[in-house]
Amino acid sequence: MAGKSGRTISATPDKSLKKMLLSWEGMLLVLFIAINILCKCISPVYTLTNVLREMPKYLTEIFLLFPMAYILLMGEIDISVGSTVCLAATVACLSSNAGVPFIGVLAIGLITGTVCGMINGFLATKFRELPTMIITLGTQIVFRGIAEIALGDGGSISLTNADGFRMIAGKVGPVPYMFFIVIICAVIFTVIAEKRVFGRNLYAIGSNSRTAFYSGVKVNQMLFISYTVLGLLAGVSALFLTSATYGANTTTGKGFEMDAIAMAVFGGISTAGGKGKLAGGIISAFTITCLRVGLGQINMNPQVILIILGALLICAVLLPNISQSISDKKKKASRA
Amino acid sequence: MKKKVLSAILSVAMAATLLVGCGSAAEEAPAAATEEAAPAEEAPAEEAEAPAEEEAAPAEEAAAGGGTYAFVSKSAGNPFNERQATGFEEAVADLGGTAIIQHPEAPTADAQITVIQSLISQGVDSICVAANDENALQAALEEAAAAGIKVCSVDSTVNVASRLTHVNQAGVTEIGQCLMDAVYDITGGEGQWAILSATSQAANQNAWIESMKEIQAADSKYANLELVEVAYGDDEPQKSTDQTQALLQNYPDLKVICAPTTVGIAAAAKVLQDQGSSVKLTGLGLPSEMAEYIGDDDAHSCPYMFLWNPIDLGRLGAYTSAALVSGEITGAEGDKFTAGDMGDYEIVKAGDGGTEIILGAPFKFDPSNIEEWKEVY
Repeated sequence: MAGKSGRTISATPDKSLKKMLLSWEGMLLVLFIAINILCKCISPVYTLTNVLREMPKYLTEIFLLFPMAYILLMGEIDISVGSTVCLAATVACLSSNAGVPFIGVLAIGLITGTVCGMINGFLATKFRELPTMIITLGTQIVFRGIAEIALGDGGSISLTNADGFRMIAGKVGPVPYMFFIVIICAVIFTVIAEKRVFGRNLYAIGSNSRTAFYSGVKVNQMLFISYTVLGLLAGVSALFLTSATYGANTTTGKGFEMDAIAMAVFGGISTAGGKGKLAGGIISAFTITCLRVGLGQINMNPQVILIILGALLICAVLLPNISQSISDKKKKASRA
Repeated sequence: MKKKVLSAILSVAMAATLLVGCGSAAEEAPAAATEEAAPAEEAPAEEAEAPAEEEAAPAEEAAAGGGTYAFVSKSAGNPFNERQATGFEEAVADLGGTAIIQHPEAPTADAQITVIQSLISQGVDSICVAANDENALQAALEEAAAAGIKVCSVDSTVNVASRLTHVNQAGVTEIGQCLMDAVYDITGGEGQWAILSATSQAANQNAWIESMKEIQAADSKYANLELVEVAYGDDEPQKSTDQTQALLQNYPDLKVICAPTTVGIAAAAKVLQDQGSSVKLTGLGLPSEMAEYIGDDDAHSCPYMFLWNPIDLGRLGAYTSAALVSGEITGAEGDKFTAGDMGDYEIVKAGDGGTEIILGAPFKFDPSNIEEWKEVY
């Protein structure tokens, strides 16, 4: 085992049930089940149909989690993605109102997101000495600024013809289309992170970017690709968000970047890079979603829900550190 | 290995704490419900009976004609919205129903959608919403309507497709005229003035501003007044303060700021009075927050201002919800109903093509009555 905290990659995967349960992801799974039981207990309307119906709002954020996890694994960050969502939604709405056929609107939304991602990727790779936190802070302001100009005086535009968007907000039985796309993305991104060279290299870059570079890993190329994919998925997120609001406004996508980062961190992915698994991020995303839906259904004050989520996040970050330091002390004691 | 065991134990403990914490909340809820629904009965002590009681309670309430009425505000910490919520709660209590008051986590349409979706799951009878965005709630509110929930808006409207009717504080032109007259009066009929608004997409703010601009353009007596800027403080005290200071700096000849928002006017009043500025202020504000700034002399920044009673607005929202739920009104033009002790109201045509109910004309607060009203709200 490469590490015992359950948050590092292992050279020889151990498949025993006990090991799996004791890994960070295993514990998250237990927590996920516990939260669902809890919600079922406290809310009489916590049914599968209702949860799936309330889920789309959160699913739009989960799209961003996948590529965000890649970027975090490489030890970088992107805090501009909420603004990218806003800009892509704005451009899609404007083009729809200008009479562009729906398939074109979809393409325009996705392209806008992708271009924003490419700009981030370009800046992040061209100016490696600048922290990506600062680069994306800049683009965050720029993208939202452009969106606000495009939105005009009212700060809000609504679709004159929402038929196409109504269609993509559709459902199979109680399950929204978006859910299937999220699951497909989850599988693709997990397989790449776990089973492909690209995934291995993510961890290599996150552990030591310089070493990875001199070992022949195309660091810049991978960074560029990841930022671009994040932009693309921000476009996807924007289109689905538009399908829920029939329009865009200056607050569209606000805070999405932080929610995506929070999901990843709660899932055990370290912002310092190189540690954690995408599976953990995905489980934590659904755990957070279920918790918010359940607590919302008992009309708990949304501000209190935010406090609970914040506290959970701090616990999630502290737990491995606390257990690490305790076991270190024990080791010292046993040696003495 | 030990680390893992330890962290596993800790996380189980965390989950257990959550379960215990919420378990007790769940126990309290049915007890409260039981008290409301069946006051004659002694509340059962055994936990096992509690869930059954909880399920029975809503049914009993429905049978008694109560129902569950939800109110969704713009955001937490908005005093005007909180008074509306208070009024809404009072009226629902008078009607014998259950009120659910929800303040979204952020002053955005997205956050309101989350709350509305949750209310749909709970199967409430009506939703009364003060919208953060006119159009963005449409999909969620249509879903609510499809689920049989009666939807109306209050204070800040949603678009026609999303609502059955809207409860309006006062007619848009009435407010525009009131504010324009105040600006005319305070400036003495000539000079520069500016508007400090809330967010740039607040439907009510934009309608009033538009109306003021139209009134100014239509009558030649306003010809010497110059509207220099519409600033947006986003209903955040700090941003409103910054915007006020920017206005003072950019327009040294400014005579009057008109802030048709309770947050904006309070922030601007503080800036003007603290700086001893000669710029005067008017607009729409809460008496309790504005009392120390209202006065005719130079030491006070605001000669007079307007507002309606937000408590009554909330109450009318509740009575409208109840009338929609009972089927007494459908939201069509010409429908009439009695709003408890508030009297009779009629649904009229609104400027946006839908219908609305108008609470009344704006009320003027000046040095003669502010002392009395600041105690009220």
